Parts: sequence; structure tokens; C-alpha cells
Amino acid sequence: MFLLTKGDKYLIIFIIIISVVSLFFVKRDISNYDKKYFIISVDGKDYKKIYFGPEVVGKQISVKTEFGYNLIEIGDGKVRVIEADCPDKLDVKQGYIERPGEVIVCLPNKLVIEIKGESKDNDIDYISH
Amino acid sequence: MKNLRKLVFLSLLVSLGLALSILESFMPIPFVAPGAKLGLSNMVVLVTLVIFGFKEALAVGVLKSMLFSLATGSISSLFYSLSGSVLSCITMYIVYSYFSNIYSLIGVSIFGAVAHNLAQVSVASLMMKNLKIFSYLPILLLTSLFTGYFVGLSSIFISKNLKKSFPKSCDTSKM
Repeated sequence: MFLLTKGDKYLIIFIIIISVVSLFFVKRDISNYDKKYFIISVDGKDYKKIYFGPEVVGKQISVKTEFGYNLIEIGDGKVRVIEADCPDKLDVKQGYIERPGEVIVCLPNKLVIEIKGESKDNDIDYISH
Repeated sequence: MKNLRKLVFLSLLVSLGLALSILESFMPIPFVAPGAKLGLSNMVVLVTLVIFGFKEALAVGVLKSMLFSLATGSISSLFYSLSGSVLSCITMYIVYSYFSNIYSLIGVSIFGAVAHNLAQVSVASLMMKNLKIFSYLPILLLTSLFTGYFVGLSSIFISKNLKKSFPKSCDTSKM
């Protein structure tokens, strides 16, 4: 069919398998930023910016502002809210967030925690002519 | 007389490959990684390989790359396309002469496209000193399957007809 020999078909299947498998690995690897940090902001203003690392694991940050009180715990590359004085405690129930782009929002306390990633050499893309 | 005929035809093939390269540089494939191309000029190299042989195919491939970088005026693309066409030519020759009972021209052309991509990605990562370029490779390999298939398919038809014009310089046992 379509002038393909048996060897061709095996070759095509083989290459598809190889590239899909390596695509899977590459996708996982690309999301590994060189540095990951999170920003705590209250009422739209940055409150704190903390880089993940072994030295901050297990640390707790209490955020006390005029809008309310939250206690944030840092894990190994992840972060969560463990105490809050807001009525529904949705931020506590959400648990850990760990991937860049994920956010925890506590609307009553106007608190936003966002994880971001940065790589060392992303200030300019390579230009080729 | 015969050599002259061959010379003229090879130069025609080179200019055809050059025209196809320039044409496909205007034609980016959407949704795919940068650097993905149709590989239309690979068709010319493959047809030369089938009709004339390895040496002529290598000459056509190298001349085509050099002329292409002269025509577009980009030096760095010379390294990419030169390494790509040399490696793909060698690979296609090996596959075509030793494994043509297993693979048809489509398989040969897919091998060539894969080798082309490998060489280009290696040269790119050498030149940019960045191993992350290799993460493009799976996507390039997937696209090279499709382009390689169609290039091989058209090469089958082209070489079928061209073999009538050059019956002595090729062996009819293959194909």
C-alpha cells in the first residue's frame, strides 16, 4: 500500500515511537527551569519574593496585613497555605502548588501566591542569519 | 559526448535543487519547530544517487548547499546545509546500496531526512554551544517522516522516468 515495503513500515513505526518517547522526556525536561521562585502579593503589591532551595524547605512565613492573616509553608519546590483567617479557607484546601504558572488566591485577604520560573540565559534568543 | 550529456544533466539537477531550496525557504511549515523544511531539494540528491551514483550525488548536494548560501547570502546556513546534505547523502548511499531489498526509495529518503536533521541539530548545538537544541530533534524527526515519505514517493516516479533517458548508468535490478 502506498508503495511502502515492509521495511519502510517498520522504519516509520520505529521513528514514530522513538520521537514520541523522547518528546515526552523533552517536555518534562523543558519545564525544569533553572530557578523557580514564588511571589506573594497582597492587594496587588509584591509582598515577598522567595527562591526555592534546600535552605528554605520547611520555613513558614506569616503574612499579616490589614486584610487578614495567612501562614504559608514552603516545601521542596512547592508551597502551600496552612493557616488562614478567611471564612472559607479555600487556599488551605488547595494544598501545594509546585509548577510555574500555578497560583493560590485568597480572595478575602487579597493574597496571591504565584510560582514563576526563570532560566539563566533567556534574556535573548539566539539569532541566526 | 556521453560525458557532456551527463555534465549538462548534473548541472541541471544542481540548479533544480537550488531553485527548490530557495522556493522552500519561502515556505515555512506552520506549527512546527524552526528549521523544519520540506526537504524538496533532497529529492534532487536522491534522484542523482539513483540515476548516477554516490560521487555525483555528493557533488550535487555539496554544490547545491554552497550555491544556496551564495544565493541567500547567509554564511551560517552554509554549515547547516552542508553538513546536513553530506551526511544525508552518505546515509542514503549506504542504505540504498546495501539495504535496498528491505527499503524502497521511501525508506531511503526517510533515512536521508533523519540524517539531515541529526547533522543540522548537532552543528547547531555545536555552534550555539547549547545542548538544549537537541530538544527540537523529536519534532524534527516526526516532520521528517512526512516530508521524507513524499520526497521518496516523488523520487520513485522521477527516477522511473529518468532511467529511460539514462539506461546505462544505472542498474535496473534495484527499485
